[in-house]
Amino acid sequence: MSTFDALRGQLLDAAEAFSGGGDVLAGILSGMVDDVDRMLREELEIFPVCHHSPASALAMTRRLRDKRPKVVYLELCEDMRPLLDELRNCRLPVALQAFATQLDGFPAGSGPLSVIAPVTEASAEYQAIAYALDTPGVEIVLVDRSVDHVFQWLPQETDGPDPHEQAAQGDEAALHSDDVALHGDAVGVEIGDLRPRFAELEKHLLHHGKVRHWSEWWDQYVEQPLTGADYDTYRQAMALIGSLFRRLRPDGHGRLAVDEERERYMWTRIREHLAESGADPADCLYVCGAFHAVSTVAEFGLRSEAPPYTIAPRTGTRWLHGLIPSSHSAIEAQFGLAQGSVSIAAATWAKAVRRGGVTPYRLEGQQGGRAKQGGKRGGSAAPPVAAEPAADRLSGFLAAPPALDGLDEDELRGWCVDIVRLARRNGYLASTADAIAVFETSILLAGLRGRARPTPYDFADAAVTCIEKDAVPGRRDVRRLCEILLGGDKIGMVGYDALPPLARDVYDRLEPLGLDLTRRTQQRVLLDLRADPELEPCSDLLWTLRHLLPDGALRPIMGARRLGERPIQESWDVALGRHQREIVELGYEGVTVEQVLEQRLRRMAWDPQATAGAALAAVEDAILYVGGRRLPGELGACAVELLAAERTVDDAPEVLRRIRRLLTYYRASEPELPAWCEDFVTAGYSHYCTLLPTAFADDETGVRQVGAMLGFLFTLESLALSLGCDRAQLELAVRQSHPRDPAKVALLWAAQTQLGLLTREELRARCDELLANPLVVPAYPLYVSGFVQALEPVPGLAPFVVEALSKAFARLPDPVLLPWLPTLICTLRQHAPELVPVLVREAGRTFPGALAELDAWTPPWERPAAPVRAARAAAAPSGPVSTLLARHPGACDAVAVLLGCTAEWGSTGHGNGEVAALLDRHPATTGAVAALLGA
Amino acid sequence: MTNEMLRAPAEVKYAEELDWLESVDDGPKPFSWRLSPRMVRLFVLGSERSDGLDREIPQKWFGDRSFVERSIVTLASDRGLLLIGDPGTGKSWLAELLSAAICRDSTLVVQGTAGTTEDHIKYSWNVSMVIAKGQSRESMIPSPIMTAMEQGMIGRFEELTRATSDVQDALISILSEKYVSIPELDTDNTVFAKPGFSIIATANSRDRGVNDLSSALKRRFNFVRIPVVTSKASEAEIVRFRTIELLRRHRIELDVPPALLDILLQSFADLRTAAASATSEDEKLESALSTAEQIGVLEDAILHSHFFGDRTLRAETLAGALVGSLARRAPEDLAILNKYWHGVVEPRSRNDGGEWTRFLDGGRQAISTLS
Repeated sequence: MSTFDALRGQLLDAAEAFSGGGDVLAGILSGMVDDVDRMLREELEIFPVCHHSPASALAMTRRLRDKRPKVVYLELCEDMRPLLDELRNCRLPVALQAFATQLDGFPAGSGPLSVIAPVTEASAEYQAIAYALDTPGVEIVLVDRSVDHVFQWLPQETDGPDPHEQAAQGDEAALHSDDVALHGDAVGVEIGDLRPRFAELEKHLLHHGKVRHWSEWWDQYVEQPLTGADYDTYRQAMALIGSLFRRLRPDGHGRLAVDEERERYMWTRIREHLAESGADPADCLYVCGAFHAVSTVAEFGLRSEAPPYTIAPRTGTRWLHGLIPSSHSAIEAQFGLAQGSVSIAAATWAKAVRRGGVTPYRLEGQQGGRAKQGGKRGGSAAPPVAAEPAADRLSGFLAAPPALDGLDEDELRGWCVDIVRLARRNGYLASTADAIAVFETSILLAGLRGRARPTPYDFADAAVTCIEKDAVPGRRDVRRLCEILLGGDKIGMVGYDALPPLARDVYDRLEPLGLDLTRRTQQRVLLDLRADPELEPCSDLLWTLRHLLPDGALRPIMGARRLGERPIQESWDVALGRHQREIVELGYEGVTVEQVLEQRLRRMAWDPQATAGAALAAVEDAILYVGGRRLPGELGACAVELLAAERTVDDAPEVLRRIRRLLTYYRASEPELPAWCEDFVTAGYSHYCTLLPTAFADDETGVRQVGAMLGFLFTLESLALSLGCDRAQLELAVRQSHPRDPAKVALLWAAQTQLGLLTREELRARCDELLANPLVVPAYPLYVSGFVQALEPVPGLAPFVVEALSKAFARLPDPVLLPWLPTLICTLRQHAPELVPVLVREAGRTFPGALAELDAWTPPWERPAAPVRAARAAAAPSGPVSTLLARHPGACDAVAVLLGCTAEWGSTGHGNGEVAALLDRHPATTGAVAALLGA
Repeated sequence: MTNEMLRAPAEVKYAEELDWLESVDDGPKPFSWRLSPRMVRLFVLGSERSDGLDREIPQKWFGDRSFVERSIVTLASDRGLLLIGDPGTGKSWLAELLSAAICRDSTLVVQGTAGTTEDHIKYSWNVSMVIAKGQSRESMIPSPIMTAMEQGMIGRFEELTRATSDVQDALISILSEKYVSIPELDTDNTVFAKPGFSIIATANSRDRGVNDLSSALKRRFNFVRIPVVTSKASEAEIVRFRTIELLRRHRIELDVPPALLDILLQSFADLRTAAASATSEDEKLESALSTAEQIGVLEDAILHSHFFGDRTLRAETLAGALVGSLARRAPEDLAILNKYWHGVVEPRSRNDGGEWTRFLDGGRQAISTLS
């Protein structure tokens, strides 16, 4: 005969009455009682808990004081055990974190993997941890599956929609603070996850409970009745709820399979530990979620006769563990709880503790919160209570309405006064009359909702009704103020000693700045590097951290770090306190910031997807943040390999920009170029020469890319030739190029002009021909676009580009010109730094400066004198020969006439180019004449 | 009696239900309320099986439970209730239901307009009687608010923000001292409010800034903001509920096909999204696109089909009614509707076909008639 026979009979009668003898309802109801019964009969004492439940925490404290167990088994990932000792160095709430970047056994690309388990002070698990760690001779054993298994089982678990996650996503828009992002994208695990497993059940409970969300339901129907309940009632009621949710669940949901696996895992671990340590099960306590307390797996119980369960091996993934700060709002967001519910739970816990009757456990040296209260030793050393068969407490609990506390007028009055004060501070015109109205309305609302005393939720509704008017005057509305009042968001902080070495190193090295890095505000710091050169390492570290941490952690206000520049003053906005998690996670990657940076840069360069441009970017970062020659050299060598292996030229503009910048830097700061730079230029020269004909012909390759290739070949030519490259290769490549695209044709013409294969006049003639041919005119803008792109590789072509553009504007018909103009402007705007200055300078030189001069102005390309002046510019070298010839032009004139040249002699004494060339070629005549004259 | 009225007030329309609720109500009632707060909530929001009543009470106002609860407790407290929200969100309907449930009289209404004077709120004089008999309580004409005070009932003030500020401020003393003095009389010159008196005012949030409430008056009101219904399910429920009522009122027997109801809801949802993303007033329809507006469109369409059509509601008629009621400003609204018809309705009719195609045609025709 069992303790619950009477209750079972009652429930079966009820099932009969409601469903007319249906088996299902009867099965569920009697099954629930059986579950509770089974849990109570288990030899190892099972303590069912629910997350963020002050009632659980209170019951836990009381039970620990009464029972004083020697071993506590806790439903928490077993590999997180070492972290528990570090909890005392932190200000709660913090989250235990496991982190892995080097994956082995998980799909590539799914990393980094991260699991967090938040710990708040108002939780049963913290009580158990604090008791176990600070009581000599007590052992705490984490028995849940390892973090590795969390991910191994994850695909199975997520094969069905989770109602709460959906709810959480729905609420996401309503979340107002960036603090909710404290956990990043980690997977959350929690002790005692207790919630209906499908949305309809939850909706039903909320609807009939006349409450708005799950936290409120829980608070009203479970939390409050159980807060003052004795241990047996607590245990039986929790187990009953766990059983209810276990039995009412959608079939075929992968989540239950995972839960059952976990239960097998936990019981196996418990049995193993008992066997190893030889502990007496009567001295042990197993703390797990109420859902697991009524498990139906065969492995349940110490006397289970199920075949041994084999625990699947972990993968080869290397897990790193640490603590990260957490916050109430982050926990709410992660686990789909109502906004403010964790804060309210914390406030309820604080109130229950204040009311006395129980002294909570607290880790010695725990940061934050109140001072230690009596602590573990302060508790009465009551002898362990002998286990008695539990009586049926469920019948009473289920039959009577929840026995709530009477109206706590003082508390409510305090809230009312405080909310008015807070509202006034936030710009509301609230007065004492409002406090009275809030008080009255809270009580009326509670009455209307059938509660003996107003819950915090009633109070918040009342405050909104009475104080909120048509507009919110400040940043926060009354609902948010209520949340702040009822505990507010609490943000944890990981203490210095619990930080990984890297984070501690960062804190140490930033100490000279005199910042309080634990503050969550943004702090401004000014570094005068000339006056305090000893701050330079700090500056270096700040720049490195800025490179590694997400935006917002550090922001330079003044000063910039570019190649070859060092600011003498810097000013920073530092918000490292708010980004402690990111620093802690950096700590998983290495021991110092520099090491992490080096690893990341190497990863960037050696990535299978890396391009030469990315590798050059890594080189630049290495020079800026790491310094020295070793790392930039290695990365540069990698860039050379990448460039040589590249089959496309998509990256060419980036490569050109970066290598130019690096070459300028090395020329300015080093006595000679590093070897990798030379290799890069020679490799690039031959690489781009090889690819040039293909790039010209290939439709996929853009004009910009080909332009950049030519830019590389022409602007770095002198360096490449000095390093042993052969110009013939380039000439051959240009000759082999036969583009079809008009823009590329123009580019090719520009290249040929640069190489001397095409004269300016021929080029002009070709363009004029295009303009004259009505069939080609529509394509003319494309040619001009090509010429514009040629400005970069062939800057000498600028006058011609101005000419081509002017002609286009002058002669193209509007239907062709106007649609093209936006394209031109967009191109110029996109590549403004390289193209626009050249073009503007040249245009300034060509066009008249004032409007008045415009009438008399003729474009240089239409001036007849222009060719002569151009010829004169190429003057022959001056010397005794020129002087002599200039003085006695007769002979030369005669020779010229003989040779058929009509060019005239200049009067300035500068020789004509052609004549000089002629004389150079046949020096004998001049020599003879000179000898005759006796010069 | 209901049959002789074009629109019966809630207390008449639901008289039988209210009587029954009163007979089974055993909860504590504040002041002179006819129903306890829980029963009031039940009357407004409808009953469920778990309430354990012998008959079903239909839901009459659709919206969040907490709005109704907050409104009820405000009326039980010392302060007036101000329902604020966009036009067509059901503020006045909620006010009517609440006063009908609480005091069985929802007709003590003052309508706020630019021409509302203090006399409309307090009292005025029957001039001929004053000439004949002099100023006395007999020759005084009490305002609906004063009547509510005298009888301990709920007075209603519609569109409070349309009345000028000095008129609004006449409410301050009524709400705080709860009496009105009549200085013209020598004796019996104070009307004291009986327990149970309160005021439900409504204000249109679109009128903000026209006649803002003074802070003194704001203090004496609890504000309950009624949002525009955005959940499609509850909106469909409201439209269906109100349409049935309208059809009954007009004694029209006509079916509203669910496909057409869907089209109506969907087009309003689309237009709301467009309005939300508009950057200037010119890109928004002048209409607030509220649920009441939808009901209006449907009513138009139903009446049109009943009297001028073949007594079947068709998509073309619905489209015509929609364009007709939403196109208020000549170029702007028509341009928006035109854009909507071409950008959204046309592709939808291509993909879904059926009623959407007819809806497309009807709308096009209506737009071209108006342009």
